Amino acid sequence: MSDELAHADQRSGPAPGSEASELTQRTGYVLAALDTTAAARPVLETALRVGEMTKAEVKAVHVVDGATEHLETLVERAGVPLRLLTGPVEGTLLEAMEAPEVLATVVGARATPGGKRPVGRIARHLLERTSKPVVVVPPEALAPGTFLRLLVPLEGTESSSRPVLQALYPLLAVDVEIIVLHVFTDKTLPRMLDRPQRDLELLGREFLATHCPLATGIELRSGPVGARVSEVSRQHRADLVVLSWSQDSSAGRANVVREVLGTSVLPVLLLPVASASAASDVPRGLAAGEHPATPEPRKASAP
Amino acid sequence: MITGSATKGRTLGRSSEETAEHGGTSMAQHRTMSVGAAPPLTLDETFEALLVDWEAVALGGGDHRQLAARLEALCAAGCHVFLISADNLEALDGQLGARPSGQGRLHLCCEHGSSVFMVTERGPSLVARRSVEGKADAARFAAQWLAERGITGRLILVVGEEPMAIEAQRHHDLDPARSLMIEALARAAPFSLGPRAPGSEEGDASVGARLDALLALLDNQLARRANRRVPQIDPDPEWVLPLPTTQTTERVVETLGTLANGWAGTRGSREENGHAAFPLFAVSGAYDDRNHLLEGPLWTELDFTPNRRHHDRRVLDLRTATLARFPATDSGLRSLRFVSAASPHVMGLRAEASVAQLEPGEPLRAPAHGARFDRRVEAGDWLAQTSDGDEQIAVAAGDRLTRLRELAVVERLATWSRGRRGEPNGAVAQRRLLDARTAGFDALLAAHRATWASWWRDAEVSIEGGDDARADQLAARFCIFHLLSAAAEEGEAAVGARGLTGDAYAGHVFWDADVFVLPALAAIRPRAARAMLEYRVRRLPAARAIARARGLSGARFPWESARDGTDVTPRVVRGPHGEQIAIATGGHEEHIVADVAWAAHCYATWSGDDAFLLEGGGRDLVVETARYWASRIRLDRAGSGHLYGVMGPDEYHEVVDDNAYTNVMARWNLRQGAALLTGSTDADEVAEAERWRELSERLVDGWHPDRQLYEQFSGYFDLEPLIVSQIARPPVAIDVLLGHRRVAASQLIKQADVLMLHHLVPQEVVEGSLQPCLAFYEPRTAHGSSLSPAISASLQARAGDTEAALELFRVASRLDLDDVTGTTAGGIHLAAMGGVWQALAYGFLGLAAQPDALAVDPHLPQAWSAVTLRFRFRGRRIGIRATHHEVTVCCDAPLTVALGGRAPQRCVPPSTTLPLGLDAATRARKEAGHERRAGSR
Repeated sequence: MSDELAHADQRSGPAPGSEASELTQRTGYVLAALDTTAAARPVLETALRVGEMTKAEVKAVHVVDGATEHLETLVERAGVPLRLLTGPVEGTLLEAMEAPEVLATVVGARATPGGKRPVGRIARHLLERTSKPVVVVPPEALAPGTFLRLLVPLEGTESSSRPVLQALYPLLAVDVEIIVLHVFTDKTLPRMLDRPQRDLELLGREFLATHCPLATGIELRSGPVGARVSEVSRQHRADLVVLSWSQDSSAGRANVVREVLGTSVLPVLLLPVASASAASDVPRGLAAGEHPATPEPRKASAP
Repeated sequence: MITGSATKGRTLGRSSEETAEHGGTSMAQHRTMSVGAAPPLTLDETFEALLVDWEAVALGGGDHRQLAARLEALCAAGCHVFLISADNLEALDGQLGARPSGQGRLHLCCEHGSSVFMVTERGPSLVARRSVEGKADAARFAAQWLAERGITGRLILVVGEEPMAIEAQRHHDLDPARSLMIEALARAAPFSLGPRAPGSEEGDASVGARLDALLALLDNQLARRANRRVPQIDPDPEWVLPLPTTQTTERVVETLGTLANGWAGTRGSREENGHAAFPLFAVSGAYDDRNHLLEGPLWTELDFTPNRRHHDRRVLDLRTATLARFPATDSGLRSLRFVSAASPHVMGLRAEASVAQLEPGEPLRAPAHGARFDRRVEAGDWLAQTSDGDEQIAVAAGDRLTRLRELAVVERLATWSRGRRGEPNGAVAQRRLLDARTAGFDALLAAHRATWASWWRDAEVSIEGGDDARADQLAARFCIFHLLSAAAEEGEAAVGARGLTGDAYAGHVFWDADVFVLPALAAIRPRAARAMLEYRVRRLPAARAIARARGLSGARFPWESARDGTDVTPRVVRGPHGEQIAIATGGHEEHIVADVAWAAHCYATWSGDDAFLLEGGGRDLVVETARYWASRIRLDRAGSGHLYGVMGPDEYHEVVDDNAYTNVMARWNLRQGAALLTGSTDADEVAEAERWRELSERLVDGWHPDRQLYEQFSGYFDLEPLIVSQIARPPVAIDVLLGHRRVAASQLIKQADVLMLHHLVPQEVVEGSLQPCLAFYEPRTAHGSSLSPAISASLQARAGDTEAALELFRVASRLDLDDVTGTTAGGIHLAAMGGVWQALAYGFLGLAAQPDALAVDPHLPQAWSAVTLRFRFRGRRIGIRATHHEVTVCCDAPLTVALGGRAPQRCVPPSTTLPLGLDAATRARKEAGHERRAGSR
């Protein structure tokens, strides 16, 4: 890394998973919620990677609504036990996800690429109701390798950063790099930048010290969050995007989550910000989904 | 207020000294009355001075040998004592007979203070004789004498029959002339010996009780000093800055609480450091091999275990440059530290907490980053060294631990030395530690306070008005505090953009030092300004080498420099959009060449050190920089001179031709250089001067007579005419918001560029061009640089728009207090602080150094009823106090003042008051300013 780059790096302190890495296997498991579409494969593969990251067993479930041979072959090859369930899809899956042993659930965003909505109806309902972390896998997701590098967009308020880290760190059982991305909001946009090269580095350093001391680096950006997440993901070869999630997708809310889910080709780990009180602590940004739009300047009258 | 007799009020808890294992007689039970504004006295305080109403103690005789012995001991321990009596010397000295020695001084203020004697082991000697009306005059003498030593308010204990706070005196309708509790001692601690019984005489029980109470009080103070208890500060709200307490701002707090003496600085980290701490000890001019500030061994750490629910308060006393920490509960840490201004290589810390929580631990610890660190113990003291490349910082330190039952008290003295590796830096630091220990903590602290008091005598700012004005005053004092801390007065001073308060910008020296910091120091600490210029003078060879490497003549100072004066500006960075950006400042921001010359001229003009400019290093700075411009300017076919490919202060527009600021500063530089060479006996130099004059006339300056505007650079007027307020509220880093390219294609600017000319060289710009240039450029200025708001404040004030000026002044003065940039954790913004002083001096007071006079032209905002600035001007000590109606000039030698553009008039010591009498033009300017403001809203 160049000395002058506008991102901090080489943070001191143990990596998030360093203590937990002493563990052999966790008691909980990762749940892969599979359907019979083409989305099942990337979901299962992602679940296996999540299992490695959490050092937890992976189990698959499917709510039966037709033939399951193809699915059974898929999970058998992966060595993952499959439980076939019956009943209404949403309710049945939600019940499985809420089992105490479930550490996280992996679901497909939607059945096919190119849909209008970032996530399908069923996935959205599950996301809005579950209390557990959920990894959403876009249908066009590339086959993931081992999760080595996590991209964590943070809004820059303590009340929004804390829940993310409190929910994320317990999941990490192996050493991973955490790259923080901060897209300037109207509240965090610097009012002054004397020497951009130095000041952005300083801002990044202070941002990490305040919001994510264990991160390995930070990227500071301005502009639309979704595009910046994609851009930085590519740049850092990130394996997983991590976002907090207010579980409120009504109009005007969760714009960031919606934008990232709509544009990311990486799996997205959504960490529910527990209930209304926590959500109310997150006035803007990630959970609430606001960022400053680049204004269209108006011209001054000629001198 | 405490009384020595059990008369009234509530009982206070026992002080620690009452339970001490050694030292002192136990006090009788103390009682207090809630009188006046002064906080209740707990006697868990160490006072630096005592004022005693002698008639409250003695009634015409008696044996006072015990009292004399205590007073001698107290003076030997460093405490000053004033005995104020109606008696004459013979009577007073005859009763007491004290013959003290040591740092503390005993004064006998006889006959209500009409004659004041200082008593030493050789006896009393007269130090003042004055006409007085009552004891209050003696108290005033004492308060003044103590204030000159940095001892004020709560550091003073006033002992009398029933000394009452000012308000209480008024309530009881007491004769103020007879009271020791004068206005200047309003925050002093009152100690009552109890009322005299009606008709009492010598030998009365009440007399004996009062004497006993005083003896017990003195014993308490002696014990506190013997036990090395943590000294206190005077919590004067006009001088004491409470530091923020939230966890997230810890590193900002560390920056704000930095103590420095120009030579070395220590960040205000907690003694146990803790979460997110970045402690730093830095020495001016000490850089590592990467040209980054070399971090020295840390000397303030203690093994202190805070409680889980630990809270504390840290306050910075600007008057005495001490950082104090108070526990919110009984279980916290109390401490006070200083970085000596009187002995620049000495630092001190005292701390106390419960023995279960506090151990001194190893007094010297490794810094956070990088350098090689060695540490060892020799003869009971510690020595540590950090080194990198050829540079080394050595620190020696020793602790003294006192245990008072449950209380642990640590006293730490530390000394430092800097040098080349291989030099005996450690031995030097150790020798300094021995010297410091011989002097003692209390004496070192007293000398430190006194030195800061002397610094403030030439630097104090007062802003009168309501609460907002008081807040402005504290913010301004905070800025001046850090300016005074930034540069030493000897040798060379490399003043980095963040001073010695953090590692941002690696301690590199920019034009911030020359154009923003130096003008303030030239007025408030001229020797420090001279040391800053010495840094440039000694780097002339490197600057000449840079010019030569570019095929040019003279000296080209680099945009960023560190130890050896080579260019240490970074070349490439990644921007906020992830793009690679080449850094153009090092290659193109050449105006620093003229800025250095301007700094030399500014120093000489304000200090009167003409020799520096005419024949010393200043001459070399001006001539060699002029020589550079002469070789840098290109003539076009028409014979006009140009500077192609430069960058002005507005860094949004990176590489431009004929930047007005650069060209006009270069023109000024050529003219100044020519003036210096004109009288030369060297014919070549005379001819060179003539060429420079001709060239200066040919150099284009961007003036458009048709528009009555300077064009910032060639083609600027053709750019997209955006203004800031339609995009965001300034200050704003608009390059982050819109993107670098978008901004570069517009007329949006980062900071004053053309307007810097009106600020620095008003004689070089077209008369009357300030108003139109302000009207045009200010709306286009994003103030995206911390250097910007203060300069605009200064210009707006001069232009008469005092309310706009005040708004900008507040942004600038609170820049670090409010962490406006988000980067204060990396150090304070010293240039902005220099700008704040300039806004006060050049803007609101309208000061300007004219060849034969000091110009004064005040423009105060409505919120301020008066502004006072103290400074030095050509060898004189000056104080200017301006109200909306008049100006008072205080001086210690006659001074010629040109007030508001009128004919100069002579002002004589000690003060001269001149009516302001605004002329019609000024009134019109002010009204125009108000109208413009109203329109912009």
